[in-house]
Amino acid sequence: MPNGKLVCFSVKAHDGRVTRVEITGDFFLHPEDTIFKVEEYLTGIPADIRENEVASMVREALGDAQLIGATPEDFARIFKRAVSR
Amino acid sequence: MKWRIIKYSENDASTNMAIDEAVSESVAAGGPPTIRFYGWKPSAVSIGYFQSIEKEVDLEKCSDMGVGVVRRRTGGGAVYHDNEGEVTYSIIGREELFPKDIIASYKLICGWICESLSLLDISSQFKPINDIIVGGKKISGNAQTRRGGVLLQHGTVLCDVNVDKMFSVLKVPDEKVKDKMIKTVKERVTSVKQQRYATKHDVYTALMRGFTHEKEFYVDSLTPEEIKRAMELAETRYGSREWNHMR
Repeated sequence: MPNGKLVCFSVKAHDGRVTRVEITGDFFLHPEDTIFKVEEYLTGIPADIRENEVASMVREALGDAQLIGATPEDFARIFKRAVSR
Repeated sequence: MKWRIIKYSENDASTNMAIDEAVSESVAAGGPPTIRFYGWKPSAVSIGYFQSIEKEVDLEKCSDMGVGVVRRRTGGGAVYHDNEGEVTYSIIGREELFPKDIIASYKLICGWICESLSLLDISSQFKPINDIIVGGKKISGNAQTRRGGVLLQHGTVLCDVNVDKMFSVLKVPDEKVKDKMIKTVKERVTSVKQQRYATKHDVYTALMRGFTHEKEFYVDSLTPEEIKRAMELAETRYGSREWNHMR
């Protein structure tokens, strides 16, 4: 991130579907446990989903939670990059 | 409203994190807002809640060197807590005592640290999100969480820094650029000792004065219930593989 924070996605896909998502990094998220919800939301989605749709899903999963040091758009971009690897 | 001050004590990594949580629970149950000072014995690495322990920490090196490792319940990055090189604090109080906005609350609490450093004749500034800098270099890192209506912020003030030792236990994303990264960190991090002649005890005394300035407070100990709960959490959570290897 431009602010120096790091976000990393570890994504597994099988038969065109995302089967596992793990998000790591030194960002902040309040409440912290919301991260499980974000990972859960992104598990099972088509691997070729569009980036803006991923961002919407992240925003929906976050709800009122506050992500600090990264944005849902950052999450979506990094997710897409991880999926295409 | 009176703040409870818990004087400096040194504990292992899991006990330190367990005490912060036990105090948070007692504050949630109506206990007094608390300011606690502590150190790490043995020296330890703490990683942020969302970090991967395997990616951030050289666990074999830590084990060889007798350096502890613990996952914090707060976000942020990996920190090497040298036994000699820093003073750590935690501030635990009901959320209503602090600004609702997270960055504003960092600014308020970090302001107390800046005030403390000014007592040592060191001019520092809060740098959002969670750092304090002196002449553009980081001297203090801080991390916050809010749960159950309680705000916990803990952070460290670097009294002395040994970047080479720090990187002997922390991993870097790319080993090929490790030397360059160490050089960059050396340029970007400072310590009280690099600024002024001051001991760790001087830093602690300054923090005690800066944190209590214009506050009503009393010096006390942890309650037997808090100690019991902390010992329980140190064993079941912060000392467990399940927690520390969560990511």
